[in-house]
Amino acid sequence: MKQVKKLAAGLAIVAAASLTLTGCASDNNSGNAGATSTGPVTMEFWHNGTGDKSVAYWEEAIAAFEAEHEGVTITVTVVQNEELDGKLQTAMQAGNAPDIFLQRGGGKMAEMVENGLVMDITDKIDPDIKAAYGDGAFGFDSLDGKIYAMPMSAQPEGLWYSQDLFDQAGITKNPTDMASFNDAVSKLKAAGIQPVALGAQDAWPAAHWFYSFALRECSQEVVEGLATDKELADDCWLRAFTDLDTLNKTNPFNDGFLTTVAQQGAGSAAGLVANHQAAMDLMGAWEPGVIGDLTPDKETLPDLRWFPFPAVDGGEGDPDAIMAGSDGYSCSGDAPAVCVDFLNFIAQKEWDEKYATAYSTIPANSEAMDVVEDPALKAAGQAFTKAPYSVLWFDTSLGQDVGNAVNQQVVALLSGSATPQQALDATRAVLKAG
Amino acid sequence: MSDTGHHTSMPGQTLTVRPTGGGGATLLPPVAARLRPHHRGNSWRTRLEITLLSGPAIIVFVLFVIVPVFVALYYSFYSWKGYGPATNFIGFDNYAWTLTNPDFWGAVWHNFAIAALSLILQGPLAVLLALLLNQKMRGRSLIRVLIFVPYVISEAIVGIGWRLMLSDTGAVNKLLGISISWISDPKIALWTLMFVISWKYIGFAVILMLAGLQGVPEELSEAAAVDGASYWQIQRHIMLPLLAPTIKIWAFLSIIGSMQLFDLVYIIWGQYIGSIAGTSTMAYFMAQNGRLSGQLGRGSAIAIVVFVISLIVALVYQRFVLNRSTEGALTGKGE
Repeated sequence: MKQVKKLAAGLAIVAAASLTLTGCASDNNSGNAGATSTGPVTMEFWHNGTGDKSVAYWEEAIAAFEAEHEGVTITVTVVQNEELDGKLQTAMQAGNAPDIFLQRGGGKMAEMVENGLVMDITDKIDPDIKAAYGDGAFGFDSLDGKIYAMPMSAQPEGLWYSQDLFDQAGITKNPTDMASFNDAVSKLKAAGIQPVALGAQDAWPAAHWFYSFALRECSQEVVEGLATDKELADDCWLRAFTDLDTLNKTNPFNDGFLTTVAQQGAGSAAGLVANHQAAMDLMGAWEPGVIGDLTPDKETLPDLRWFPFPAVDGGEGDPDAIMAGSDGYSCSGDAPAVCVDFLNFIAQKEWDEKYATAYSTIPANSEAMDVVEDPALKAAGQAFTKAPYSVLWFDTSLGQDVGNAVNQQVVALLSGSATPQQALDATRAVLKAG
Repeated sequence: MSDTGHHTSMPGQTLTVRPTGGGGATLLPPVAARLRPHHRGNSWRTRLEITLLSGPAIIVFVLFVIVPVFVALYYSFYSWKGYGPATNFIGFDNYAWTLTNPDFWGAVWHNFAIAALSLILQGPLAVLLALLLNQKMRGRSLIRVLIFVPYVISEAIVGIGWRLMLSDTGAVNKLLGISISWISDPKIALWTLMFVISWKYIGFAVILMLAGLQGVPEELSEAAAVDGASYWQIQRHIMLPLLAPTIKIWAFLSIIGSMQLFDLVYIIWGQYIGSIAGTSTMAYFMAQNGRLSGQLGRGSAIAIVVFVISLIVALVYQRFVLNRSTEGALTGKGE
């Protein structure tokens, strides 16, 4: 009797184990009936709009789209911004990419193109949409003349600041060069206000300071050639690191900026500005939306304003040039055809307007531009239109691996563990190895 | 594998050394003794039982431990970003990159420092606490629970909690009215990590030591007391020596844990500043340069190097420390 029981128990274990093992393999092939599907289609969609309003926007837009397209279901996964790229990359490596996903462009997109993981939508974009967007709107989402994503917002970068805190510190005129910027920093400190919020724990916000200094120090040609430049021979790169080092030595950043994250919670850099704990934050045009989600009443910060990154003495870059990015949306390489219909749908004036409102940002569809009323966003939008050229975030243009490694060198510099020369040497090494 | 050799001598020996039993460990040999006749009688049945009972474990072990090691070894020779099959064979480049990277050696150093400091800080404290909690006293169970609580809380919660409290504007600085960068100052960060690790894992050490102490027969200390030994003499000459095997096992687990340390560092220091603050570990370095950077081939090479380092540490410890202690425990000749 005993043996029978033992045997039965043993068999049960084997059975259970084999069930678990086969269980992993079986549940893989749902959805995606292919490009010419006729029956019900389910599409998986990943975006980074964690704010309440952006979540609501996508619910509304998807409901409207599904109502127009019978049998189409879109399921959404909202991924925290800093987690998104890594998660997306892992999913793509596993062949499990979502059908629709946030696209940042640059080297990250090039990698997807190279591996057939993103759909070429050049000829599938509605001609009306193309006309409404205007030339150049697809720049960040194009590679070798082909378009791989539908841009929904334009994100010029600059310093977002609290007018109330500036007034309190007695700053009457926005800084236009480093001398006046340093002056503003001193005034804010004298008034007991932390001048600049910086989420250096996430590395990229710190790196944006380096990008911006490089944009001012380096000529257009040099800065636009970064993606293929392994040497960084031009001495403007060292000047950019040195500028940042000099600035850092004036202690402009919030207490504990090395352990401050960018966007999560009241203690984050955006949260500090949202709660008037720090005056400025260098960010792209998603900032009003991010800050708006972190204010006590979850409304946009009424005194939030914007000014472009200050000029530097002797810089070879145009002082009106601007760092920028764009939030686009891509279809995966094997997404159903109706995926592009969804992109065309959300790019319409009505939905891009709602997008810009929900995200508190600048719409990519130029017809939707009127919706921007926020004074800070207006200023950023005008500067973007006026800019002689705009440059994509370095980490995006360099791609995930090199981009992250470069960002880290900037953090090392800010932490004082590397000199400008050491940071530059390390960056060169990273570019060569990548 | 080598179990069969010891089995014959184990039941009798253990039974004479520990006549009263009490702990789970002392119950095992009698059960084994009872089962033994069946095994001898039906060798085919024995084999079937062994196959059925160990089969699933072996399958899982091979599939999820052995196979991945070889897969990692394969990918470590490629420059591979994870898309499609690996085609760009680069020989030992990934290994060269890893072994010449100062950040990697920094991480290795941190691992060994954490291992050594864990032993030095947690060991004596855990023994003292266990000796204390082995006494009959009021509130003993409550204290035991309290000490064990941090070990039960998930690493993520511990990490986030301490990160918030230890941040420059966090509760610790505010309460003490000071301004110290507990997390980002490279001179302090490793000690901060050691504090959190000790806080988190001391409960495990104490429980282990307590179990060891309870396996020590009361007769021994009673006899010593009758002979006039003081409390401290009993602890020093009876309890501690008999606790030695437990301490060695704990030290082994602690060293292994230190070698594998990842989650707490990753959560408290985030993806980027661990190496700058001086708290990055080998696993952290691997996640950063393998997964986060998307260079999976390079990550595989780092994994293999880490695997070899850990293996060497484990083998050396087993050969020179653990082996002796189990020999002593099993043959009764230890002390």
